[in-house]
Amino acid sequence: MKYKIGIDVGGTFTDFLLFGDDGSNEIYKVLSTPDDPSIATISGIELMAREHGTGTAEFLKSVSTVVHGTTVTTNAVLTGSGARTALLTTKGFRDALEMRRGIREEQYNNFYRNAKPLVERWLRWPVEERVAWDGREIEPMSETDVSAALDLFKAEGVEAVALCFMNSFANPSHETAARNMTREAMPDAYVTASVDILPSIRFYDRVSTTALNSYVGPILSRYLKALIRRLADLKFGGVLLIMQSNGGVVSPEIACDRAAMTLLSGPAGGPVAGIAYAADQKWDDCITIDMGGTSFDASLVKDRQPFVTTVGDISRLRLALPMLDVVTIGAGGGSIGWLDEGGLLRMGPQSAGAKPGPSCYARGGTYPTCTDADLVLGYLAADFFAGGRMKLDLAAAEKAILEKIAKPMGLDLVEAAAGMYRVINTNMSSAVREVAVQHGQDPRDFPLIVAGGAGPNHACMIALELEMPILIVPRESSIFCAAGMLMSDLKHDFVQTYATTLDSADPARFRAVFENMKAEGLRLLLSEGIAEDRIRYVHALDLRYVQQYHEVSVEIPAKEVEAADWKAMASRFHPKHNALFGYSLEEEGAQVELINMRLTCIGVTEKPSFPARQYHGPDPSEAFKNERQVFLPKKGAFEKLKVYDGAKLRFGNFIEGPVVIEQVNTTTFVTPEYDVLVDRFGSYTLFPKGKRTEIEGRVL
Amino acid sequence: MSVEIDKILVSILQRRFRSIAEEMSIALAMTTRSPILCEARDFVTGLYDADGKMLEQKENLPILSFSLGPVCEYIVKFFGKRNIHEGDVIFHNDVFSMGNQNNDVAVYKPIFHGRTLVGWSACKGHQADIGGAVRGGYNPSAVEVWQEALRIPPVKVYEKGKLRKDVWNLIFANIRLKMVEEDMKAQVGSCVVGERGLRALVEKYGFERFNAHKKYLFDATEKMMRAEISRIPKGVYRGEATGYFDGRNKGSKYTVRVKITVKGDSIHFDYSDTDTQTKGFVNGTFTSSASATVLTFLQMVDPNIPHNDGMVRPIRITIPGGTVLNASYPAATTYGNHLCPINANAIQRALAGAIPDKVTAGWNELLCSLSTGQDQRRKKPYVDIFFMGLKGGSGAVKGCDGYDHIGMIDASGGVLDQDYEMFELQTPHTLVRHEYLPDSAGAGKWRGGLGAVSEYVMGGEGNKLVTFGEGDVEPARGAHGGGEGTLNYIELDYPDGRKYRTTSKDLVENVPSGTFYRQEAGGGGGWGSPHERPAELVAREVRNGITSEAKARAEYGVALKPGTFEVDETETARLRRNIRA
Repeated sequence: MKYKIGIDVGGTFTDFLLFGDDGSNEIYKVLSTPDDPSIATISGIELMAREHGTGTAEFLKSVSTVVHGTTVTTNAVLTGSGARTALLTTKGFRDALEMRRGIREEQYNNFYRNAKPLVERWLRWPVEERVAWDGREIEPMSETDVSAALDLFKAEGVEAVALCFMNSFANPSHETAARNMTREAMPDAYVTASVDILPSIRFYDRVSTTALNSYVGPILSRYLKALIRRLADLKFGGVLLIMQSNGGVVSPEIACDRAAMTLLSGPAGGPVAGIAYAADQKWDDCITIDMGGTSFDASLVKDRQPFVTTVGDISRLRLALPMLDVVTIGAGGGSIGWLDEGGLLRMGPQSAGAKPGPSCYARGGTYPTCTDADLVLGYLAADFFAGGRMKLDLAAAEKAILEKIAKPMGLDLVEAAAGMYRVINTNMSSAVREVAVQHGQDPRDFPLIVAGGAGPNHACMIALELEMPILIVPRESSIFCAAGMLMSDLKHDFVQTYATTLDSADPARFRAVFENMKAEGLRLLLSEGIAEDRIRYVHALDLRYVQQYHEVSVEIPAKEVEAADWKAMASRFHPKHNALFGYSLEEEGAQVELINMRLTCIGVTEKPSFPARQYHGPDPSEAFKNERQVFLPKKGAFEKLKVYDGAKLRFGNFIEGPVVIEQVNTTTFVTPEYDVLVDRFGSYTLFPKGKRTEIEGRVL
Repeated sequence: MSVEIDKILVSILQRRFRSIAEEMSIALAMTTRSPILCEARDFVTGLYDADGKMLEQKENLPILSFSLGPVCEYIVKFFGKRNIHEGDVIFHNDVFSMGNQNNDVAVYKPIFHGRTLVGWSACKGHQADIGGAVRGGYNPSAVEVWQEALRIPPVKVYEKGKLRKDVWNLIFANIRLKMVEEDMKAQVGSCVVGERGLRALVEKYGFERFNAHKKYLFDATEKMMRAEISRIPKGVYRGEATGYFDGRNKGSKYTVRVKITVKGDSIHFDYSDTDTQTKGFVNGTFTSSASATVLTFLQMVDPNIPHNDGMVRPIRITIPGGTVLNASYPAATTYGNHLCPINANAIQRALAGAIPDKVTAGWNELLCSLSTGQDQRRKKPYVDIFFMGLKGGSGAVKGCDGYDHIGMIDASGGVLDQDYEMFELQTPHTLVRHEYLPDSAGAGKWRGGLGAVSEYVMGGEGNKLVTFGEGDVEPARGAHGGGEGTLNYIELDYPDGRKYRTTSKDLVENVPSGTFYRQEAGGGGGWGSPHERPAELVAREVRNGITSEAKARAEYGVALKPGTFEVDETETARLRRNIRA
């Protein structure tokens, strides 16, 4: 048998999904090792080998593909531990990186500090040179300035250099000349020229993205080299792929050149997985949520396409590479409950994390957290956390909630815990609602795909608040992103600014820009071993009305590109603008302006498919486990509920809510409003009582 | 009260109010066309109770913090509750009935539960045109409101769900740009989003429960605010600040004087001694001035206090009519929001001694320019508000340096620089420099925020430059021994060698292509003795080129070893001893 492995490194756990070519699949989790994440990665592989009764090298022989999502770059930025980085930039503009366009996010807080720049000012070195908006040279580049800077960088032990010159997207010659000088003078340094990673207009976006890439480039390169070496030592002969923020995967070699593409890759597997699980039940749209220990991610999928954005931030620094539009808030199992000065209860965004963790982890934490509340309310069982491998301390949870929340508020223990549960659910449902509104959508039209260790215990309350019709809890919900990674295609995004009114664009230049991007994409994909007939190209243009400030990205079919059919392209823009912003200026004959040309090159990979199981009938009694007291929020009281063992549930099983379903890494609390039907892949479909027939039509 | 209070529900309602106000804000940002709305986000959205008391507000710029509530209360009184119906939509901008600025046009939509008026959703945005003598509404030569704007006292444009086409047409027949009509439709849309959200909440919990819990929320918030006020030693505090040049008379000035009385857990801002109004457009309205007061004070208290009626209850503001902060009918008032920096200075100066831990040193005051003309590349007119040039530094506070390049306190970092390359695409100008201005920050144990220097070469034809603001006479003051920031100025070097330094409220016509524009936005004031700033930090700032060696020595008493960026400990100790003695 051949296997594929999806590996997702999280803040607390590293998740593994092992997928056999016969459709069998297994879930593994090991504690993450933040100091060197490859240790957890390898120990997870060793664990899988052990469980399969073979040596690691022997086991790896049967593994064809490893898809790996890494957060080393993310952590380097969050903790300020990236490479020692310098910047070469046009004289007169050395502070753009630090100014961040002059924003202060907390306007009433005079103690709020600016984000620390990735490159200190004295290492942001100005170069005499200038190119105009249309690419004309205004002033030649001073090689003397560049050389002087490089001497300084070398003397100061700079490991990485970023280059970003004004208007280089329109004429890269100065920037590339300086880049070549840098590579020659500093052969060991990691060098990023802005035109190599983001040749598009908007100086701050470009300089920030370029600096980020250089800042994390050496970190990712070192990490991947170590990982490849370890795998090579174990005689791994398969393919290693790396997850990117755009929801696609890439070879480690290319990942190293475009390290910033991994910065927000953590939650990027989510929407990809959501599409697959929703499709299983014939849904084209869905909202995915993923509630882990610290954060809550939400994203929206429409017509089986996740939304992509180029306006991202990490640690308040702009990242303008294409990434899946995932909204993250500070809400998770570790979220801490606290009282504000008016005595009102709030939850998060601070989290107790894995260390010291919730009070009930008994690792020295004394904060009342969401997990503590879940335990007190009976949503978690003290003796079945992580499948019983970790015993939870109920008394510690009670003590924390009683002292920090209940007593100051004049509530009893259960009222306080129930309050914490409600407040964090409100925070999450507000985030989901905002995701929907942001895209002009109504959450009531979407099924909710629920993921993350803590997600299924809270999802019903979120869905009820938002009146969402259906919840789907995938059997693999606790390792959702790892599953998404195995379902991802190879993907490379390219952009080039060509600023012109659309109908006066030069067809030859227009086609040439796309051809160049395409040639580069093809080269990369072939280097990743994908067959040419599995390659797809998606053309898009960023368009706007003349004098507008924001562009709308519009997909254009290849034949309109080939024909340089400006009219057809514009007629795709107007309705999209109308859909997004409520009006179009088509009738007024307003001129359309082209800003960026984009090409996405996709290498379609072979996806694992979960095996459909045999229909087993509605009776779930074989999976019955026990009964316990569980708090029903609406009723405001405990009730004895049945608990089922999720591992033993079969296709077609029907369970009436309220009920609790336990799996090793997650527990699903089904409120009285819902019933459950198990689908052919073992996922739970939660639906409002009375809709059984309708749902059976979809699921069975 | 028969309803039992569920404290958790109070938290939930507060979170939902905030969320709805934010959804209204997202909806509006996505549907408006004017860059001042969708780019600069010069708008506010909010929910109010049946009496017009603020439930929650999302003000994208702090100067709008207090701009919707007073009008809502006015509208309720004006129509009387019995004449307010489901489906009504009310427009308003009139500065003589609690409006804050002529161009800020508000939409109010009453929300009903059954037949009961349960609340309002409202939003207000800066419109690209509002009639008056000059396109855009910015008319430095105005002396009366009609030269500035079309006045819209509360008027129903929809009644019981039906569009009053005649009223609608009357309004938009007096406004130049079609865009404004579209943007006002977007504002109505935003109110519908708010209406749906609030109505759903009332339906879910019932009006009585909703009301009781709302009251509890107001009380809890009030308690937070009162707790903050109680920390201010009781007493009477006075402060004043002066602005210069009313746009008409050379050497003219106007002074804001505030008397702040802190009594137990309430605070009163009394502006009775403030100078009388000017004859031009340098005048405030009650609402814009009160917003300035509120936003300045909010920066001195816990930023987590929810923005609802409870927050403002303990605050009383008296601004007599006829003063420069509350000009009497029919004065011109377009400059009103730009009086915020002076007002803020007066308040900070008054309270600096009472709550030294909370009050910042002086902020750089706004000086802004706007250029218009013909872009010969496109054969089209261009217009640019030079945001990146106007943003100076904030004042330092005990424990924290000022924020660099943040801009005027009315926005507090909410208005962003244009992107450089987009600027060169959208205007015919060529940028030469936009960087921190070295030595602009007031020295201190905590230094002021740095100002910025901006330079560009004008392109285009028939260029006109308009300036407005302050900060070219008095620099941002230091506090508790901190140094002052630098001054603002805008200077033009004409191709023929002439130099011209603009006034703070200027109109410069026929600026030829090739003119070199230079602007300095000054730094903020420092806090505490510069000698107490760690010498290593000063040395690092010298290395970073934002503090000169000369200033390090003269003001910070820090000497570096020659040819290095290392602190010369002996010399520094000597300097610091000497200056202290």
